[in-house]
Amino acid sequence: MDEAQVIGLLVRRCVGGDAAAWEEIVQRFHRRIYNVCYRFAGDAENAQDLTQEVFIKMYRTLNTYDSGKGAFMTWVTTITRNLLVDHFRKTKSERLTDSLDGPASEHEDAQPLSDRIADQSRGPDEAAQSRETREMVHQALQKLSPELREAVILRDLQDMDYREIATALRVPEGTVKSRINRGRAELARLLQRTYRQVI
Amino acid sequence: MPEETKHGANCTEFEALLTEAIEGRLTGAQKESFEAHRRTCGICGPLFAEVQAGREWLRSLEAVEPPTFLVHNILAATSGVVSTRVAAPGALGTTPRRERLREWWDSWFAPLNAFVRQPRFVMSFGMIFFSGSLALSAAGVKASDVAKVSLRPSSIRHAYTDAQIKVVKYYDNVRFVYEIESKVRELKRAATPAEPAPQEEKQNHKNDTSGQPQERQDRNYSREQGDTVLAGLNGSEVIPVRPVASDAGTADLRIQGCSQPAARGSRVVSNNRRFV
Ligand SMILES: [Zn+2]
Repeated sequence: MDEAQVIGLLVRRCVGGDAAAWEEIVQRFHRRIYNVCYRFAGDAENAQDLTQEVFIKMYRTLNTYDSGKGAFMTWVTTITRNLLVDHFRKTKSERLTDSLDGPASEHEDAQPLSDRIADQSRGPDEAAQSRETREMVHQALQKLSPELREAVILRDLQDMDYREIATALRVPEGTVKSRINRGRAELARLLQRTYRQVI
Repeated sequence: MPEETKHGANCTEFEALLTEAIEGRLTGAQKESFEAHRRTCGICGPLFAEVQAGREWLRSLEAVEPPTFLVHNILAATSGVVSTRVAAPGALGTTPRRERLREWWDSWFAPLNAFVRQPRFVMSFGMIFFSGSLALSAAGVKASDVAKVSLRPSSIRHAYTDAQIKVVKYYDNVRFVYEIESKVRELKRAATPAEPAPQEEKQNHKNDTSGQPQERQDRNYSREQGDTVLAGLNGSEVIPVRPVASDAGTADLRIQGCSQPAARGSRVVSNNRRFV
């Protein structure tokens, strides 16, 4: 049985009221969804709330999932993306004032604990440098427009293929590619500017 | 693509091939013409460098581990069936300070919490509270007085000593009264040995349904005064605490009875695992 068949079976069991099947789905997908939310929303607290919202939405609409229409991951990404866009709209005004106040906070949350531990073995200077670098990239990502941000997250962080991304975002594949390239270029420009300021 | 790069057929082609080129999927003649344009075009060359750099920056970001309680929270908010394998030990997470504090707090107080939720503890606590309140009322402390109580250690000590003195005095007074009463009774018996118990005494106790002789009743009464705790404990009114306690355990796990699937399954969370 391949991955798609396993998921299809889990979904059917879940729709039939099997709580263990639902737990299996949660276990399989929560990391991925959490990471998308974390990179899009920018902080752990919002990422937790959003991930939970995604699963609540999934749970309510699981019976509408049609495996014939596409991969489960694409369906999940569509739900996630729609909630993230809603979240972005709601917090837009807050974000505008944030950007005037200076750099975003919660620096320590940008660093996974596992990395902090791994970093300690690499020597303090190098570790601090790579941590700061990742933090800068994460902050720069927050400055991209939501269209570009979601595109690069799905491609460069989640390794989704262009066709899947196009389905999830409901835009043509050419648009996806264009957004990904613009997003990458914009991020590089932002980071070059930040580096120049730091140095 | 930014508008300014679209200054020729080659540039448009270059853009179209950019993602494939960056990901190393171009071959043969296509790759050669792409490379040639990159080297010569003043717009597409730098653009390529930026896109490539941006992609590398993004790929330097590693996956973060969600907090360990996330799966638990999701399950609680959806099916309500909380996992048996949630929060695998050793799983590291980007836990916000607030949650880390909660985890730390739980690690200390969860065992205590589990103990506190046991019916045995609730019973004992009920007993202590009940006997405590009886002792206070016996000592003449009224609920209205409590509001006026000062919580400074010195005044608490004073209040405690005062209450103790009151209790001792009360007990002494009661004992003194009974001693006198029994002495009087003895004297009466000594004075009229053949006489049965006086008539008016029977009338006084016509509500008596215990069927016990007068003397035994007095003794029971004095025991009630001296040792009120036992009288309270044996009563069945303390026992209903038990179901209340176990209900509280399950109630907060049935969070947000969720939509259709929850109704379909209508499972109840197994509360034991979480608390014990
Ligand atoms: Zn060009």
